[in-house]
Amino acid sequence: MNQVKYSELTFQAIVEATPNAIVLVNKEGKIAYANHQTEILFGYDRIELIGRMVEILIPERYHKNHPQFRTMFFSSPETRTMGSGRELYAIRKDRTEFPVEVGLNPLVTVDVTMVLVSIIDISARKKAEERFRLVVESAPNAMILTNKEGKITLINNQTEKLFGYHRNELIGNKLELIIPTRFRGNHPHLRESFFSSPSVRSMGAGRELFALRKDGTEFPVEIGLNPIDTDEGTVVLASVIDITERKRHEAIVTLELKNKELEQFNYIASHDLQEPLRTVSNYIQILEEDFSEELSQEAKNHIRTIQRATSRMSTLIRYLLDFSRLGRDRKLVSIDCNEIVENVIADLNSLIQTTGTKIQVGNLPVINAYETELHQLFQNLINNAIKFRKKDTAPQITIGCENYNEHFEFYITDNGIGISEKHFDRIFQIFQRLNADREFEGYGIGLANCKKIAEMHGGKIWIESELGKGSTFKFSISNFQV
Amino acid sequence: MLVDDNSADNYYHERVIIKNDAADHVVIKESGLDALEYLESTIDPVNPLPDLIFLDINMPGMNGWEFLEEFKKLDKALQSKLIVIMLTTSVNPEDEALAKTYDILAEFKTKPLTKEMLEDILMKYYKHSDPRV
Repeated sequence: MNQVKYSELTFQAIVEATPNAIVLVNKEGKIAYANHQTEILFGYDRIELIGRMVEILIPERYHKNHPQFRTMFFSSPETRTMGSGRELYAIRKDRTEFPVEVGLNPLVTVDVTMVLVSIIDISARKKAEERFRLVVESAPNAMILTNKEGKITLINNQTEKLFGYHRNELIGNKLELIIPTRFRGNHPHLRESFFSSPSVRSMGAGRELFALRKDGTEFPVEIGLNPIDTDEGTVVLASVIDITERKRHEAIVTLELKNKELEQFNYIASHDLQEPLRTVSNYIQILEEDFSEELSQEAKNHIRTIQRATSRMSTLIRYLLDFSRLGRDRKLVSIDCNEIVENVIADLNSLIQTTGTKIQVGNLPVINAYETELHQLFQNLINNAIKFRKKDTAPQITIGCENYNEHFEFYITDNGIGISEKHFDRIFQIFQRLNADREFEGYGIGLANCKKIAEMHGGKIWIESELGKGSTFKFSISNFQV
Repeated sequence: MLVDDNSADNYYHERVIIKNDAADHVVIKESGLDALEYLESTIDPVNPLPDLIFLDINMPGMNGWEFLEEFKKLDKALQSKLIVIMLTTSVNPEDEALAKTYDILAEFKTKPLTKEMLEDILMKYYKHSDPRV
């Protein structure tokens, strides 16, 4: 008897000393004992609790099912936490609720089986969790919380937007879902090595990282990793930034730099090429002016040939420079193509008159384009259509345009000498000429310019032709929105 | 005064100047340093001070721009007696833009110097009186 009394006292002392609220409940659900912490936590005097049903401490909405759970527990009593996975709430005397974690310990004596219930107020933890969730939610980046097993436990709204998933589709799923297939194999291994020495760091230093959207498209990302210690062990908070725009910007900057370099090269090259050429032509002039009487007619003819070649080369170098500078400082503006073509026709008026050229212009659209360049494009093509005419046929030119929504396709058809198919590509290359004939003299720069102009408008240029049967030049221009 | 490392150009330009009776005397210097040295030691009539300098940009050692920087440090009175004209092969708009930032540069001209160019310059800065180039 003393022994029993002693152990009872010891038990009571321990229960009173624990920092948790502890309640002893019997099979019928009646409270047999409650410690001082319980009084503090629930606001009752323990006299008010002992002998009452335990439901007094539980919000009413759980009352209906609680007896059933209790019966289940007593049928196979074992130490465990209550309501695994569910959120548990308790209610105070003043009817306020608070979140709890509840541990159940069966207490088997000779007479009765009871359950020792230990109750921990988790309000503070819940609040911290909620704060954390809010911080994650309001982050400007996609944030993904993953546990050691690689399961997603929390995401924010940015993640839904970035990846195109609803959060229900991601939470609980493996992280590999949003990693491109080719990287999936190695990822568990990388994760393990991260968790073996977790530290704040960016992911995949030096490597290019990609993420996978629900629709299967990939995008480049930058990922920061933050290990967080929680009750469930270490988890990792990944912050994901879509760097598509940055990559694009970098590419543009690199391209601009390269263009600038090329332009500088062209200036220097053209300068260094022009200089000796100018010396030649200056000295030819000296010869002509100072030694005219001493030179034979034949020598003078040779000198003239040298002069012609020199000035042609000078022109070529200038065209090369112009070609490289084409579209420099360009700006898209709204242009009525009818007006542009009208202006070009006015510019070419004397050529049109002397050759008896007839030009038919369809209804052309208003487009966003680079004005000077577009003018040059039409000018070159119309000029070519007249220039490469058949000997005894007056040029007939038709100009029109088809609107394909995404782009406009212009065409310029002539009844000229035509071009054999094998030369279709060559004619658009710089300084390439097909006709050695004097009457078609040129520098081989016009169509190369046209090609560059079409390309800078997001389009291309091509030809449909047959030797002796006229040509149709077609070019496309993107339907730019400004 | 012609400041240019290209002797062929110097010969040709001198010839154009003399032929068009644009100057009594042409001093030729093939580097910016030589030109500066000359300007610092001008004593009439041994080393007459030029009225007009045609300056090239691309020269080995001291280029045209560096010459201008040094030229700016010379006696202001001397500077004010001179007209400096850039005469270059460069068609680089960046060079032309840079030239505009120099108050002491009167003009930016592209080689070769021609009769018409000379006439314009004489008209504009000397009103027909013959300068010493």
